[in-house]
Amino acid sequence: MRHVILAVWLMALSVCGYAQTSMPSDEMQSEARQRIDEFHAALMQAMRTPDYAARAKALQPVIEASFDITRIAAVSLGRTWRDLTETQQTEFVSLLSELVVATYADRFDGYSGQQFVTDEVRAVRTGDVVRTRLLREAEADVTLDYFLRAGRVFNVVADGVSDLSLRRADYSSIIKTEGFAALLTHIQRKIDEAREAD
Amino acid sequence: MRVAAIFVCVCLSACSSLAGKEYAVYDPGEEINRSTYNVTDRLDRAAIAPVAQGYQTITPDWLERGVINVFANVRTIGSAINGFLQAKPESGFTDLSRILVNSTIGVGGFFDVATRMDLRYQQEDFGQTLAVWGWHRSRYVYVPFLGPSTWRDLPSTIVRSAMPRLIVGPSYHWGLSGLDAVATRADLLTASEVRDATAIDPYAFTRDAYFQRRKFQIYDGAPPLDDFFDEFDEFEEDDALDF
Repeated sequence: MRHVILAVWLMALSVCGYAQTSMPSDEMQSEARQRIDEFHAALMQAMRTPDYAARAKALQPVIEASFDITRIAAVSLGRTWRDLTETQQTEFVSLLSELVVATYADRFDGYSGQQFVTDEVRAVRTGDVVRTRLLREAEADVTLDYFLRAGRVFNVVADGVSDLSLRRADYSSIIKTEGFAALLTHIQRKIDEAREAD
Repeated sequence: MRVAAIFVCVCLSACSSLAGKEYAVYDPGEEINRSTYNVTDRLDRAAIAPVAQGYQTITPDWLERGVINVFANVRTIGSAINGFLQAKPESGFTDLSRILVNSTIGVGGFFDVATRMDLRYQQEDFGQTLAVWGWHRSRYVYVPFLGPSTWRDLPSTIVRSAMPRLIVGPSYHWGLSGLDAVATRADLLTASEVRDATAIDPYAFTRDAYFQRRKFQIYDGAPPLDDFFDEFDEFEEDDALDF
């Protein structure tokens, strides 16, 4: 009986779309992988740099090249984005870019044997996913999936938790209760805190 | 036979809706949950987190890890049972093997020898079992002092915290419960630092992260990658982006 149940279970799983999605062309695969490998190399270098300002300065160009901050900003704000003027959109993108750099510079502030491993690149729906892992000496590995569209990252998913989704939840809650202007103040405060934490 | 048929039907019905957004945030009781979150957070910042930080400061890393391992080893029993309940015998046997290896060679679970033998902790619990059996969408509840949960996950949230006492019985010393609580909080210090560094509304951040994390666990670490494109693609379809 157990074999029958397992067989039905496996059949059901395959019907439910567990089959792997198709692979991207070699060129796209290679480009996406290279983008993430360069970003990881910059993070490894940052971890060996004791000074916060130096880390942020080194990471900024890599993050701006690798991440599509405008798209991240638009999706994070949802409907609010289309109500903003062009000047407000530019101001928000600039602030978000600063926050992303500040967050990475703050969190990757020391090296203790970490390693990044790129496992695979997959074409999924409208983009590519680069699947990687952060290996840590004394703690469990963290899976890091980078979601790219048109060759640039718009979402990072760490152990199943989506950065883009968290931003959307966080920002929409503040916009709802305090308004867009307050959100800008809060983000600026987070950037300042990251700088001061060093 | 009838039980097996019901089980198969439940499995199939669970799978039939796996492609949807059944694990999305659902929080109709937000007002009450925010209140319990705020009370717990104040207490945590005033007393629990400082004690955990103090514990982490005076305890060598190897000892801190060992203490966490001992309690995790006891809790692996629950994970093993739930692996079998989800019709995943390989998962159940892996956890049972972990218990055997870590309790003996690992000196009562202090050393996690099993992971080095590629016997990885399967992280199953009764909430995930109920999800696999078909209970996907469930109301969010923030349990005072225990943290985020849903009505579906609540039994396992409570049982998990009390499991060492339930297994050892009345002779289990209250001091060990205290050590378990402090060690668990210390293990979560990095996570709460990340929350504090990035979240503007920590309640919304914690709730969203909890739902996503649970989905990740229910899918055994492999949720459909398609789902992560949903928010992005829906937004683009609205023509709100003009690049």
